Amino acid sequence: MKVTLFATCLVDMFQGDVGKAVVEVLERLGCDIDFPENQICCGQPAYNSGYVKESKNAMKKMISAFEQAEYVVSPSGSCVYMFKEYPDVFQGDPIWEQKAQALADKTYEFTEFIVNVLKIEDVGAHLEGTATYHTSCHMTRLLGVKEAPLKLLRQVKGLQYVELPGKDRCCGFGGTFSVKMGNISGEMVTEKVHDVEQTGADILIGADAGCLINIGGRINRQGKPIKVMHIAEVLNCQ
Amino acid sequence: MIGTIENRDAFLSKIAQQLGRAPKTELAQPIWQYQPQDRVLKDATKDELVEVLVEQCKNIHTDIVLTDTANLTKDLQKVVDNYGGHTVVTWKDERFERYGLTSFMTEHWSQMGIQLYEWNPAQHEENIRQAEKANIGITISEITLAESGTAVLFSSKNKGRSVSFLPEKSIILIPKSTIVPRMTQAARFIREKIRDGEQIASCINLITGPSNSADIEMILIVGVHGPIKATYIVIEDQ
Amino acid sequence: MAMKTSDDLFNHRVTKELDNTFMRGAVSSAQERFQTRRLLQAAELGHWEEWRSHGEEIRKHVLANLDFYLYQLSENVAQRGGHVYFAQTAKEATDYIKGIAKKKNAKKIVKSKSMVTEEINLNTVLEELSCEVIETDLGEYILQVDDHEPPSHIVVPALHKNKEQIRDVFKEKQGYDKTEKPEELALYVREKLRNEYLTADIGITGCNFAIAESGSITLVTNEGNADLVTALPKTQITVMGMERIVPTFEEMEVLVSLLTRSAVGQKLTSYITTLTGIKEEGDTDGPEEFHLVIVDNGRSDILGGEFQPILQCIRCAACVNACPVYRHVGGHTYGSIYSGPVGVVLSPLLGGYDDYKELPYASTLCGACTDACPVKIPLHQLIHRHRQVIVENEGRAPVSEKLLMKAFGLGASSPTLYKMAAKMASPTMSPFTKDNKISNGPGPLKAWTETRDFPAPNKDNFRNWLKQRSKGGEQ
Repeated sequence: MKVTLFATCLVDMFQGDVGKAVVEVLERLGCDIDFPENQICCGQPAYNSGYVKESKNAMKKMISAFEQAEYVVSPSGSCVYMFKEYPDVFQGDPIWEQKAQALADKTYEFTEFIVNVLKIEDVGAHLEGTATYHTSCHMTRLLGVKEAPLKLLRQVKGLQYVELPGKDRCCGFGGTFSVKMGNISGEMVTEKVHDVEQTGADILIGADAGCLINIGGRINRQGKPIKVMHIAEVLNCQ
Repeated sequence: MIGTIENRDAFLSKIAQQLGRAPKTELAQPIWQYQPQDRVLKDATKDELVEVLVEQCKNIHTDIVLTDTANLTKDLQKVVDNYGGHTVVTWKDERFERYGLTSFMTEHWSQMGIQLYEWNPAQHEENIRQAEKANIGITISEITLAESGTAVLFSSKNKGRSVSFLPEKSIILIPKSTIVPRMTQAARFIREKIRDGEQIASCINLITGPSNSADIEMILIVGVHGPIKATYIVIEDQ
Repeated sequence: MAMKTSDDLFNHRVTKELDNTFMRGAVSSAQERFQTRRLLQAAELGHWEEWRSHGEEIRKHVLANLDFYLYQLSENVAQRGGHVYFAQTAKEATDYIKGIAKKKNAKKIVKSKSMVTEEINLNTVLEELSCEVIETDLGEYILQVDDHEPPSHIVVPALHKNKEQIRDVFKEKQGYDKTEKPEELALYVREKLRNEYLTADIGITGCNFAIAESGSITLVTNEGNADLVTALPKTQITVMGMERIVPTFEEMEVLVSLLTRSAVGQKLTSYITTLTGIKEEGDTDGPEEFHLVIVDNGRSDILGGEFQPILQCIRCAACVNACPVYRHVGGHTYGSIYSGPVGVVLSPLLGGYDDYKELPYASTLCGACTDACPVKIPLHQLIHRHRQVIVENEGRAPVSEKLLMKAFGLGASSPTLYKMAAKMASPTMSPFTKDNKISNGPGPLKAWTETRDFPAPNKDNFRNWLKQRSKGGEQ
């Protein structure tokens, strides 16, 4: 099965290991990965801050980059959701609305793709430890991917799962919010780290680079002995 | 008398203008796509509704007594004694006679030193004065909502609003025949009256237990401006 | 007090409120409680999504036909002896009410809780007439005694105060000499206000839902104060935001069911009261004179535009209780009587962007508010829309940010530029990098690195790895 990888700019620039894990997991599950070089950024940073015009060129670039793809898969719920919003952004445009819709229809978040398209729940992963999981807001509430990550984690051998209190509560990233309102964001992520600590887990798992960079950044600053892993990295453990 | 209406035309014109059309003075009855309220306690029997009512009273700080016309005076006396007797104010309502309470209340109580005052449409100031100083107010529910534990009272010249508000304790007699599943049935009952051209009461009160507030540190305080204690007496009247 | 509650800068308010440990504990505790109860009630009721959809269709239908229902309402109120005054502006409303107070030579006025009366600054106007205006809702009364402190939550206005502070307010202002126990504080207020109800000249209420078919107004309380406010004084004035209306008793009961569960997790509050016109012939209690003041104050400008859904709001504050930002900053940060997500959307619309331009950015667009709203207002989308308006129409974005975003727009649409930036990222950031992380970032990153580390840019390029991998064939 040919799968086109939408790495996301955060993974591309700051979390290359997550990208590698995504590729290795999907290849192990029988996928041929291709990677359009022209992909850059889904446009969220500008779009979410209200700069719709400025984000449109970036979006068009993405639409073009993935035009030949059959399945577009990405390790970020928020970026996938941004693709799903493209048809609204280009509403009324005689050329781009249709193209945007085509892209939105064939784009999947990583765990959603494995569970709902490949129909696999046990990827053969093995990781010893106690883990808890933070449900990213865009991925759960807006994109609607709730069950897939948990189904996959349940099948990871050796992994003990503890539910995170307030797992649905925002970690405080919110893209530019984390720097525009850095003090509020700091309080929100501090509470999130506190909640993670309460579970006694030694691993925090998430499915969105933004959230993980945010929570991980706070965990590091506080010196807590909690390992932060993207679910792709967990599923890549053998 | 008909009241006055001022500044309506310009006000409504602005609204219509914003909505992009001419002002409307006629409209067909809307047909709703969803009617979830019809499901609630749909096939419950009267006895089942009583059970629901009894359960709900536990949640709303309300005592409930199940009785019949034969035992009503005895059970009413128990509640009145429990509430400290002293002064009682009631509506002027022929149902007190129908339930065999009138002679008991007028004669027996005066012997026991319990002062009874019956609402008098010719004595406005006295009515309020008596209700204000009364220990107990007794009213009768017209419709009773099992789901929420709610008594519906309709005001009139003989049935003052203040009887259920001013005294410290409230006793509401609930004829079993008045019990319906929920507010939906009460709303429809009232709408029928309106359709039949009846003038609805100037005050329709849906009362659920005693008054309360959680305005201080979210700690529930029972008994704020209205009654501090409430008892429902369900009378098997069928 | 009007809608605006602070002259202080937004950033100052944030810093001040983040320091308020009691408030933050009270708010997070209240949020837990309200959210849990709301979800329990929704589960018990069953088919909650259908209820939400029904609530949404009712509100949408009413807004689309608002002029008709207001017309019907006013006709029916007048039929029952009530006077209806349509007020386009706050001043028209307060002038009218001032007129009644003057005519009645009113000295004492009792009020039940009403956001719209705060919005139009009614109390101040009446007090200028030397009327004593007494709030009877316990939370509002506490704030009033405390020199008119603004509310911090739509449903629990004094949430930010602890019982010791409340005791001290009563002690200093009124000579209260008992303890901080909530039952004692409440009993004190009960006794004090009892006499006020009995001696007031006018009772003023808000309106949870007006019912067009009968000319009725519906009041929803737990304390019973609204009932005493309307049963005892001879004159009653009800002030309603023009959109707070339903066609019939049937829609009223659906929306009340959604309101009480979403606001306080109850099936019904202790008192749901519908009042129709003046008292009937022979009635002892009830008003001899009734006035309904219907207020626009900027609402009609929202109609017909993309923000129209915010007028669906039934003021339950479920969104406030779900908001992870409100959780930490509390209501006063918003600088408006309407706080939380509904306040973020509504305040700039009613009050303009000058005073409220930061609010739409005080959000992570997490969507918890949209999920919680019983009438399905797409709150997070409306918040985002405000951002777009601020950037494009209002031209209010800071210049530095505009430049940054323009640069983003260029960089994100040019693979060449991007590749250059990606190559330069690691060496550029290396002065700030230590142990593969950045702890003291430059520029905008500084706000981040105050509390968090930021990962250093990938030294090994992910794309190169991918390219080499596919060249090399098998893993």
